[in-house]
Amino acid sequence: MTKHLHPLTLFLWFALIISMCVITMNPFCLAAGFIGAALFLICQKGHAALKIIGFSFFIVVIVAVTNPVFSHNGATILFFVNDTRITLEALIYGIAAGVKLASVVLWFSCFNAVFDSERLIYIIGRAFPKLALVISMSLGLVPRMLRDFRSINSSLKAVEKRRIKRHLGAFSALFTRSMEDAIVTADSMRARGYGLKGRTFFNRFCYKFRDVVYSLLFIVLFMFSVVLNVEPEFYPMYSCELSLGFVCFAALALIMTVFELKESLKWKLSISRI
Amino acid sequence: MEAFNIKNLSFKYAGSDFCALKDIDLNIEKGEFVALIGESGSSKTTLLKLLKKELSPKGELNGEIFFEGIKIKELSHRDSAQKIGYISQNPDSQLVTDKVYSELAFGLENLGFGKEEIRSRVSEFASFFKLSDCFNMNVNDLSGGQKQLLNLASVMTMRPEVLLLDEPTSMLDPVSAIDFITALKRLCDDLGTTVIIAEHRLADILPIADRVVCLENGEIIADAPPRSICCQLKDRRIYRTLPEVSRLFYKLGGEGEAPLTIREGRKFLYKKNNLHINYSVNEIKTEPILSAKELWFRYERKTPDILKGVSFNVNRGEVYALVGANGCGKSTLIGVLSGRLKAYRGKVKRGGKIAVLPQNPRDLFVKDTLEEDFKSVNNSYTELCNAFEIISLLSRHPYDLSGGELQKAAVVKLLLSSPSILMLDEPTKGLDSFAKSELGELLGNLGDITVLLVTHDLEFAAEFSDRCGLLFDGEITSEDNSREFFSSNNFYTTRVVRLTRGIIEGAVTEKDLYEE
Repeated sequence: MTKHLHPLTLFLWFALIISMCVITMNPFCLAAGFIGAALFLICQKGHAALKIIGFSFFIVVIVAVTNPVFSHNGATILFFVNDTRITLEALIYGIAAGVKLASVVLWFSCFNAVFDSERLIYIIGRAFPKLALVISMSLGLVPRMLRDFRSINSSLKAVEKRRIKRHLGAFSALFTRSMEDAIVTADSMRARGYGLKGRTFFNRFCYKFRDVVYSLLFIVLFMFSVVLNVEPEFYPMYSCELSLGFVCFAALALIMTVFELKESLKWKLSISRI
Repeated sequence: MEAFNIKNLSFKYAGSDFCALKDIDLNIEKGEFVALIGESGSSKTTLLKLLKKELSPKGELNGEIFFEGIKIKELSHRDSAQKIGYISQNPDSQLVTDKVYSELAFGLENLGFGKEEIRSRVSEFASFFKLSDCFNMNVNDLSGGQKQLLNLASVMTMRPEVLLLDEPTSMLDPVSAIDFITALKRLCDDLGTTVIIAEHRLADILPIADRVVCLENGEIIADAPPRSICCQLKDRRIYRTLPEVSRLFYKLGGEGEAPLTIREGRKFLYKKNNLHINYSVNEIKTEPILSAKELWFRYERKTPDILKGVSFNVNRGEVYALVGANGCGKSTLIGVLSGRLKAYRGKVKRGGKIAVLPQNPRDLFVKDTLEEDFKSVNNSYTELCNAFEIISLLSRHPYDLSGGELQKAAVVKLLLSSPSILMLDEPTKGLDSFAKSELGELLGNLGDITVLLVTHDLEFAAEFSDRCGLLFDGEITSEDNSREFFSSNNFYTTRVVRLTRGIIEGAVTEKDLYEE
């Protein structure tokens, strides 16, 4: 599902969610953002996601512990450490801030999982076509240089036993070779008309009606969640209530995961019929 | 109608007094397939580059080049880019982007085509060149042959009128090279694109060319259809590089148009009843210097085995050729034998120091001149350089050498570390016939040094090795003296064996066959 949407639609979704996570301090919304990101990441990466999620819990703990040490506001005193007050409100604030930070980190990993080089180059290319070409060229060049370095290095083993000298030699040879190759690449670009006026930017994505519908849905959900959201009070006393804004944001954060699950269920059903 | 009309062309590179091209007069008709042949250094590349405005080298040019009646200098960048396609040797560095589909689209993007048009052309040509399966792949994951096909395809998406190819197969193994040439032929047959190709795989290219133009020292010395070109070049140096079939035809008293394919050659040989064979047999060496016992190897825990119980011996002082198809594990075996890779089962006994010549000999050179490079290994290099006739190249930059010169220099550099076993991985890749036979003779005269070479080039193995082994599916499936080895194989053998099978037994190379 996710991969069938146009990159712009997906980009919009990520942008809206991440900005909401940044704007709000509402613990319910933050929790929804965090859980939504974790579920989506598991959907995309499976087992590999657990490691990142574990790391994000670590972030939450660090921030939650650090905040009460430095901030002593709040009415409810939990205990004293060397004459400094540790308050419940500061702890809650710390947890909220930690979850906020962790969910932004998680959403960025989700973005990374969904946006492969083709989608990324497309998004950048919309705004900066030349930069997109440079990125695409580097993505081809860097692995090629690494491979060349390894092959030069292993060839030199026969004639140069000293490791550091060999590495240096291989590095300088790699540099010379890259310069040589760059000339051929430049020739190949010019030979195929690079530098002509009116260069277009090819991509394999299609903006469909579905993308319009989803984009509108995302924007509406986002606007409702911003407008209807009630920001909590942390100091001196913590108070927060559930609002419609939370519901809208939770819907926005979970919508893709729900669709993915629905699709995979459908797929399993149709396989079981074969 | 003419595609190119070259009138009285001479060319000197900037800062050089030497004429790279002299008095070239050439008309190339639309739809023609022209093979440009000549030794390395005969200015084939210069001529091709002059035909493509963007790549024209700097220098003093006299005479005129017309493309479709327009002077090439006055051709617009757009027309030149779209109508004249150019492909060079190196499959890697011609690639611009990171993905196959974006590479295919690159030229069309430059020309400003819309998305739908690009989409349809790209998919059309990807399927024509059988690249559909790797359409979404990174270009770095393709094989060398696929990369060169991709280069060809990404030029063809622009639908050029003319294709210029500068030794496009010289960096490919023989199997991919033939695939490339086959694709090129299909392209010309189906689309009628005019092709001018500089090539040294003459046995493969001549049968499909309409016309052959031969350059020597920047001058055209012959211009004829492929069947008559051999006759015209009889007294020239280049004659040695022409297809064996044609040369045998004249050697055995043939007259007129020469045969180019095995089938045509056999037709001629059937009529001969006075053939005989004459060859000398090298003494067989028996003292093993390198022995492998039951080698098993895989790259990663979960990948399949590459070597499945390889056992063989290489004897002191012999030249052993290991042949086999693509991906049968030849280079892996070299890695295991030389100690770079470790077999998980089995034993290698090495009776001396090993030096390995990599597939790309450029890998061995790190300094600015050959001399410095040699000095860094051993100071007494003069004698070897004399023996290999590269003494005049000592002050040159390694990257400025031709393929053959570089290969020789690389062997010298390895010999300087005084190994007793020399391993060569595909030593004939990118060499023309002259360089090949020169290298082969040098390898035979190394005296006490044992040579193990891994190659696709069966002609080379047959002519210059003492023994041959066939690596198939991770095992050595047959092994014999080169002569026995090649005469007993049916298809995996030299062209001369295929040519003479059933007519006269025992001929392996062209030299063996005589007329009484």
